[in-house]
Amino acid sequence: MVDTTKNTQIYSTWGRKMAKPVNPNVAGKVISKAKRPLLVVGSEILMDEKLVEKTISIAKKGIPVAATGHSITALMNKGIDAKYINVHSLATFLGDAKWGGLDGQGSYDTILFLGHKKYYLDQVLSGLKNFTDLKTLAIERHFMQNATLSFGNLRPEVHLDALDEFIDNI
Amino acid sequence: MSDIPNGLFSIDELENVQITIGKIVGAIEQKAKEEGVEVGPTPKPGISALRDWDYKLLSRYKPVYTPVCDQCCYCTFGKCDLTGNKEGACGINMEAHQARETLLRVITGAAAHSGHGRHILHHLIGLYGRDKPIDVGPSNLLAPNTQAVTGIRPETLGDLEEVMDYVEEQLTQLLATIHAGQEGAAIDFESKILHGGMLDHVGMEVSDIAQISCMGMPKSDPEAPLVEIGMGCIDSSKPVLVVIGHNVAGVTNIMDYIQDHGLEDKMELAGLCCTAIDMTRYQTDRGGKPHAKVIGTLAKELKMIRSGVPDVIVVDEQCVRADVLDEAKKLSIPVITTNEKIMYGLRNRSADRPQDIIDDLSSFKEPGALILDFDVLGQVAPELTLKMSKIRDEMGIKALPSDEDLKELSTKCVMCAACEMDCPDNLPIMEAMKAGVDGDFSKFEYLHDKCIACGRCDQACPKDIPILNMIEQASQKLIREEKGLMRAGRGQISDPEIREEGVNLVLGTTPGIIAMVGCSNYPDGTKDLYRVADEMLKRNYIVVISGCSAMDLGMYKDEDGETLYEKYPAKFLAGNLINVGSCVSNSHITGTAIKVAAIFAQRQVSGNYEEIADYITNRIGAVGVAWGAYSQKASSIASGCNRLGIPVVVGPHGSKYRRALIGKPYNEEDWKVYDARDGSEMPIPSSPEFLLTTAESIEELLPMLAKNCIRPSDNNMGRMIKLTHYMELSQKYLGHMPADWYKFVRTETDLPLAKREDLLKILEKDHGWEIDWKRKKILSGPSMKSDVSAQPTNVKRLCKGEC
Repeated sequence: MVDTTKNTQIYSTWGRKMAKPVNPNVAGKVISKAKRPLLVVGSEILMDEKLVEKTISIAKKGIPVAATGHSITALMNKGIDAKYINVHSLATFLGDAKWGGLDGQGSYDTILFLGHKKYYLDQVLSGLKNFTDLKTLAIERHFMQNATLSFGNLRPEVHLDALDEFIDNI
Repeated sequence: MSDIPNGLFSIDELENVQITIGKIVGAIEQKAKEEGVEVGPTPKPGISALRDWDYKLLSRYKPVYTPVCDQCCYCTFGKCDLTGNKEGACGINMEAHQARETLLRVITGAAAHSGHGRHILHHLIGLYGRDKPIDVGPSNLLAPNTQAVTGIRPETLGDLEEVMDYVEEQLTQLLATIHAGQEGAAIDFESKILHGGMLDHVGMEVSDIAQISCMGMPKSDPEAPLVEIGMGCIDSSKPVLVVIGHNVAGVTNIMDYIQDHGLEDKMELAGLCCTAIDMTRYQTDRGGKPHAKVIGTLAKELKMIRSGVPDVIVVDEQCVRADVLDEAKKLSIPVITTNEKIMYGLRNRSADRPQDIIDDLSSFKEPGALILDFDVLGQVAPELTLKMSKIRDEMGIKALPSDEDLKELSTKCVMCAACEMDCPDNLPIMEAMKAGVDGDFSKFEYLHDKCIACGRCDQACPKDIPILNMIEQASQKLIREEKGLMRAGRGQISDPEIREEGVNLVLGTTPGIIAMVGCSNYPDGTKDLYRVADEMLKRNYIVVISGCSAMDLGMYKDEDGETLYEKYPAKFLAGNLINVGSCVSNSHITGTAIKVAAIFAQRQVSGNYEEIADYITNRIGAVGVAWGAYSQKASSIASGCNRLGIPVVVGPHGSKYRRALIGKPYNEEDWKVYDARDGSEMPIPSSPEFLLTTAESIEELLPMLAKNCIRPSDNNMGRMIKLTHYMELSQKYLGHMPADWYKFVRTETDLPLAKREDLLKILEKDHGWEIDWKRKKILSGPSMKSDVSAQPTNVKRLCKGEC
């Protein structure tokens, strides 16, 4: 079992409300229990083919994908439900009850993040933390203190193992 | 109103009494009346004067806050935790505090530009007098931002003083609102942000038109000279004088001294940041050649200093690293500060004999000097450079580690990842260290362009490994090859150019203006700028560029060995690349939009900001890009664009500005305007979708640019061209047709000709539109009508019958 809760050193935003470090098996169960989860995938997955594979595996568990940046280029024609959207716009719409979601089926309750620049996602999560009630889960290589739950800071190879365990637990 | 003019007069009966009339209430209106110019409703607007306009913008483009810190530590009530939009001890909530934080940054940026403007104006009035005419090229509208905002039509340097008085007074009022116990509503902080941004463009404009008028800079010249740029263009075998900053005032004295004493071939004069750009503009308006080279942006500052190449460093103001003196001292490089904004604790030598200063600095009695007398500076800097070059050669100063050292330093790394975690871009430094142990330094070389040379890795390393120096040493071959060309800043777009191109911009047949501005905090290296500009230029957009972006763009060449400045002409026409100049020249970009409204559309400009902004919002397809924005100035520049309805995209680091302005395309009621012909409501396309937002990568950015140049006033040809680029760029960079393309279609003639039939089929099949296939016409479906005579406006009072 991969322990993804050890290193939670913060390198950016400061505040009192911090993410709880989470292990992959627990994170997987959180997603399984979510009524309407959304996987938000950033362009950093394109840096590593293995991250693309993990993303597709997660999506194939039936989780819709918001593909931000140009990550959509790796997710088309892969038998998954992925749609492009700008992450700053997405974070704005997520907090709006009037938004119908990417598929017109209504709002989401649990948002999962993978493949983002650390500093960029940190800001996105800051907005969600402060101005919405959404549950957010960061399964990134870095500890994202503004998420509700987050993996700690991980080495790349440990991160891939953690993602495998996460997928097995969805 | 009294007929007494400004100035001095005496009263005969009162001997020895002289009364000075400074400003007269109503003087702007009186002068305008005498000149036959009508003044609009808001000359010299105060904080609340344009609030209604701001509210209109903000009702569509809602502020989106992403706090960098969840606490407020402004006063001793706190720290207060505002997480979850809680209120602090003073009653302010997170939203309002974030808006306040943004306002502080915007007015800091505006103050930097305006402080620069006041300084250079004061300096130039001292040299040329208040009556020196403003001369910026073949234009009647000399100062579009100034005139639209203040109602003043400046003709001389002296006229600009009153403009600066207004800007400074308003900035003080805005600063006052930041104090605890002042404004409490986020929406009104937002209005103040837009006010601060507007003031910034006036302050910048004053700076640049003053220096263009007096310093022989290019005057709306599309043939402005090409200038050498890059670390590789510096001949380090000669004595090297490096200038850093943004205010060229004192540097011109150095340039004059070098020329007057025949030193041009005996030493290198080079600059970093916007002073460098303005050095290359100095005395070139009559065919003169540039007398300086450009090293590059802030991202080259530490690298250049640590190379040990400079023999003397002169700094003025803005974007100068706080550790220049400490870094220079390590390599025996004297530093001269020349502006009260940066003094580094150095002794003021302004009144000393130049030779005494040279003796003290060259003997290292003192590490540097503050010299505010520019005549003294003009002599000391070059002479000291010549002397220091010999001294430093004899000292055999070793700046960077050797290749042998690189391997040894790599072995010291304990792979703790502290450097990577602290690196703003989380660059893979550990991988470079691992390879370095085996003598492979190629991975350090890979980091060179991506690294912004902030030096945080050095500070983080528990083993004190000089990581930045290792990157620089491993990249010497690349650095030697860093040689490019940049077109010197040409200043304003002239009135005749606006007359020629204005119609194409408003109808959309020139697909848009892409204004690439801002700093060097790129997410993935400098080449992204080149890729964006080249793509949009090929597609016939007008690309306007300034400051750091203008420099970095000149660093790359195509397969024929040409930079974009050589490849594309520099007129204000479709498919042209225009470098307006330095940071303060950004005012010419908004000035261009104002000129289109004033000259092409004949809108009254003086003191008529709202109407001008309304015109630009609905008709001019321009998008700003600040891909590497880092500074407070970039946020104020963007806010000034935003008040005119010009959207701006910043790179991902821009998310740390903590606030964006984003529209909701799915809220149909947000996308309606009035038709000024009869005051009826008309739907408009959801473009621009935002006034300020971020993009994650340039692949995402490129289609965003095309889409957000779409405007309600596009004619069918214009909409077809814009839609074609939006679709093509989405397909090229995101691999698919954009999901919302059909929302911009009003009639079949809006559709790209080559794909019209296929697209009509999609409209029928996927969106249920009714098509007459015999005539290939759309019968029903679009939410908007195509009506080129429509007069879209957000301002009810501008509608017929409302006034």
